[in-house]
Amino acid sequence: MHITSLEGFLSLVRDELGLDTAGVEAADADLADLPGWDSLNLLRMVVLLEEHGRPVPVHRLLQARTLQEIYTFAKE
Amino acid sequence: MTTGQREPVGPTGLDRLRDLRSRGLLETSYDQVAGLLAEETLTHGGDGVSGADGAYGGPYGAALQRAGRLLATLDPDAVLTRHPGTPVLTVAVTGQSTVAPVVDPLTAELARHGMLLRPVVGDHGAWLRDLGDPGSPLRTADPDLTLCLLDAETVFAQVPVPWRPSDVERAADEVLKRLASIVDAVPGPLVLNTVPLLRRHTHQLVDHLSRARLSVVWREFNTRLLRLAERTPRLVVVDLEPLVCAGGPAVDERLACYAKAQLSAGLLAGYAREVAHLARALRGMTRKCLVLDLDQTLWDGVLADDGPDGIAAAGTLRGEAFHGFQQGVKQFGAQGVLLAVSSKNDREAVLGVLRGHPDMVLRERDFVRIDADWRPKDRALAETAEDLGIAADALVFADDSPVERAQVRHGVPEAAVVALDEEPALHLTRLLADGWFDTLRLTDEDRARTDAYHSERGRRALRENAGSHEDFLRGLDVAVSLSPPLGHEFARLAQLTQRTNRFNLTGARMGEDELRERAADPGRHLLLAARSSDRFGDDGLVGAVLGHYDGDLLHLDNVWLSCRVLARGIEQACVAAVLAAARDEGLTAVHAVYRPTARNERARDFYRSCGFTIATHGGLEHDEITFGYVLDTVPQAPAHVRIDGIELGRRAGAHH
Repeated sequence: MHITSLEGFLSLVRDELGLDTAGVEAADADLADLPGWDSLNLLRMVVLLEEHGRPVPVHRLLQARTLQEIYTFAKE
Repeated sequence: MTTGQREPVGPTGLDRLRDLRSRGLLETSYDQVAGLLAEETLTHGGDGVSGADGAYGGPYGAALQRAGRLLATLDPDAVLTRHPGTPVLTVAVTGQSTVAPVVDPLTAELARHGMLLRPVVGDHGAWLRDLGDPGSPLRTADPDLTLCLLDAETVFAQVPVPWRPSDVERAADEVLKRLASIVDAVPGPLVLNTVPLLRRHTHQLVDHLSRARLSVVWREFNTRLLRLAERTPRLVVVDLEPLVCAGGPAVDERLACYAKAQLSAGLLAGYAREVAHLARALRGMTRKCLVLDLDQTLWDGVLADDGPDGIAAAGTLRGEAFHGFQQGVKQFGAQGVLLAVSSKNDREAVLGVLRGHPDMVLRERDFVRIDADWRPKDRALAETAEDLGIAADALVFADDSPVERAQVRHGVPEAAVVALDEEPALHLTRLLADGWFDTLRLTDEDRARTDAYHSERGRRALRENAGSHEDFLRGLDVAVSLSPPLGHEFARLAQLTQRTNRFNLTGARMGEDELRERAADPGRHLLLAARSSDRFGDDGLVGAVLGHYDGDLLHLDNVWLSCRVLARGIEQACVAAVLAAARDEGLTAVHAVYRPTARNERARDFYRSCGFTIATHGGLEHDEITFGYVLDTVPQAPAHVRIDGIELGRRAGAHH
């Protein structure tokens, strides 16, 4: 999948984690405010990004507050 | 049987699952999920070139991992509103570390079997309280299954720094003591696991002697854990070592460090699969029959093209691989799994090979049914189930041809389909990737099951030649004995209650512990084992009667009878014998109950056929029907069944 754009990343999160991330405003929302969010999603995100060949700094990802932040780590 | 065929392409099961979720239809369509996940097996099955993808890895493992993430967003209550009949499994999960990551794979693995997970997850590191305190949310949820996930930290959290192997030994002792107390405290089925020894620990010791010492200490810890299961029937200890060997790594150090998730996602996936098969066994859903293709499945070559001299299951490199597979299949056959053949071949040629080919490990007598003809395989499977008296969902079908697999998958969707491919060295791994035949305890009846089905063939011949059903029954010479279970019979008795669906008058299933408790109190409880035989052989323990006394009344709580011996009058004979014995004991009346389940419809009128009258109908719970029988007369027992002994055991002390 296409983690090259924020839209691509958000649609990946929607398809794979079943989170409602329609609209780019979801990217800047506090993770805790996303409908259906639970903290396990951070662990799922680590696995998901690595499945897509994007090794991430785990300790930073676990402290992320928004999807935008996670996207930034994944792009680095 | 042919190589190089490709399966039809199109949206995969996972694609369709994702589509259902995005349209908000996942709960509404939960009844389709098991089928969609099975489609994934077809898509990703046979992929031999990618090598040994082990018990839970490979593309199918990855697809299931993704499915688990999606399915974990399901609302179980919403599923149940739409599909009230969905079997639900309440699972309490606790452990030393962050255990919630097991929920996704467990959701997916249970969904494969049509079950719905209701997880109750404990607090981080609080397993002792979660399980030891009867008021904890995990205990009050009354789970069907409790998982206590152990990892290296369970021991190492108690070890000082710096440490020596003797410190680990002390910590391991302490942990074992606590675990033993938990095992006694938890009332229902409990799952523990052995703990892989990590290089992170062994190599903190620089000398080989100490390392060896640590390995010994660690293995003793795991051994003693495994031994706990020997003395407690409701405890299962899942050995993680074979899972690590098949898939590794055991831990992702980053997630272990930052999120306290001490077991890797891959290992949890493998563990979840084992647990789901355990859940199937507890629910009486263990598969019973393995149906095998022949060409390129049991031997190298195509019999119709190459002739008997052109096929091999020994002696050549590939032949040896098939030999190993046949040995594994034979092993299953020796443990109560019925073996059958479904092959597109000429029957006489196949029988010739099974009788005389020098390479074969499996012989004609190892199979309870051989379908070798040119019909579609779904028909052969449906007839196999019918012939053996089992449901289609008790079948497992293994074939190297994607076309045949797809045909069976669509024609008999209840059958589990194992995808073999052109790499025979992986046949056994693929067959064993799922514990389709997992059971809690094996019994003598299991080991003799194939012979029992061959005796059944003799009975069938008698039936076909008898003038009437009554003539047949008279010719059978059936004998039954009933008494409280003998010490060695409890495992078989528990298994009978767990596996019996058609003649299970309330759907209830009993653990070995519960049965022993009832048997220990013969003044209040009635528990009888029924054993039957006929001129074709001894059927062993085939039935159970459970009841309790209330003054002059006997309540029959349930009757189970193995479907192998149904419709021979044994069930009526057992109840008639119990009624007669109850009257001899001075009891005045007998009450009985029937609760409909998805499978026991045909037993609805059983008690009436024994002379009972309906007392109440459509009770509040489960549409149950209660029956009554006044013991001033005893019913006519079927004349063709000889009762060799009946003993209620009410006055006898302990019988074990």
